[in-house]
Amino acid sequence: MSTYQWLLVFHVTGAFLLLGGGAFAASLNLAALGREKPSDIVLLFGLIRIAVVAIGVGTLLAFVFGLWLVHEAHYGYGDGWVVSALILFIAANALGGIGGRRDDKTAQLARRLAAEGDAPSDELRARVHDPISLALSYGSGLLLVAVLALMIWKPGA
Amino acid sequence: MLALIRPDAWNLPLFLHVLGATVLFGTVGVVTAAGFAIRTHGDHQALLTRVAQRTYLLGVIPAYIVMRVAAQWIDGKEFPNGGEPGWVGVGFLVSDAGVVLLVIVGILLAVRRQRILLAVPVLTGLYVLALGVAWVSMSGKP
Repeated sequence: MSTYQWLLVFHVTGAFLLLGGGAFAASLNLAALGREKPSDIVLLFGLIRIAVVAIGVGTLLAFVFGLWLVHEAHYGYGDGWVVSALILFIAANALGGIGGRRDDKTAQLARRLAAEGDAPSDELRARVHDPISLALSYGSGLLLVAVLALMIWKPGA
Repeated sequence: MLALIRPDAWNLPLFLHVLGATVLFGTVGVVTAAGFAIRTHGDHQALLTRVAQRTYLLGVIPAYIVMRVAAQWIDGKEFPNGGEPGWVGVGFLVSDAGVVLLVIVGILLAVRRQRILLAVPVLTGLYVLALGVAWVSMSGKP
């Protein structure tokens, strides 16, 4: 295989880990929305950590090999679709990072409540359903889908 | 995600194919993770089984359909007269053999017996690996 093909394999692997990790986290997040017991929330948020690792590795692979591919395929780093994709990619990571930190606090609260008797709590319910956290996480996912669309259509290329 | 320029008419089916495949990868991963977690969190078996079942019905099946229909769509545009290269064959092999595996997983999830459920993460884990082989083959096009 050529250098271009190898770079594409690693770049696409990154995209699968990133978008697949997002789907993984979203599925478990949706499941958590319907739970009341703190220990259930602890378990589901704990499984989401698998997605966090996949998203981290995927972000690195997609970004590094994506930039390398721009050079290898003789696109320009100033091309509109490349710049737009980079901006959306960075924004998606920023939103996901902020949402993730808020979810970490929710998981900490759930762990404490689980250790103190595992009784449902209004505070935990409010945190799990927090519209800002949900908007940050799902907004991040939507931006990544937009990046995928830009990569495929390459408007202006 | 980057690829050389292709005809515009291929973009929508390719987008749907890749999007469906990534969501399929992620949701099959959830079924796998929930299945393995049943082994270590027996006190949460009912919750984890429900998560696996719902993810299977609302995530895995729709994502598989989007991925597979879009694959056929773009195959018809790119190779209208047949004669697909080997890397396309790998993709179809993984997706079509995957139907059999996913049907078995669906039956096991419907049965809900603990011993039977233990087979679910093994089967879905194998499918995750097969999806990896497919995306490497289809992106590298060796």
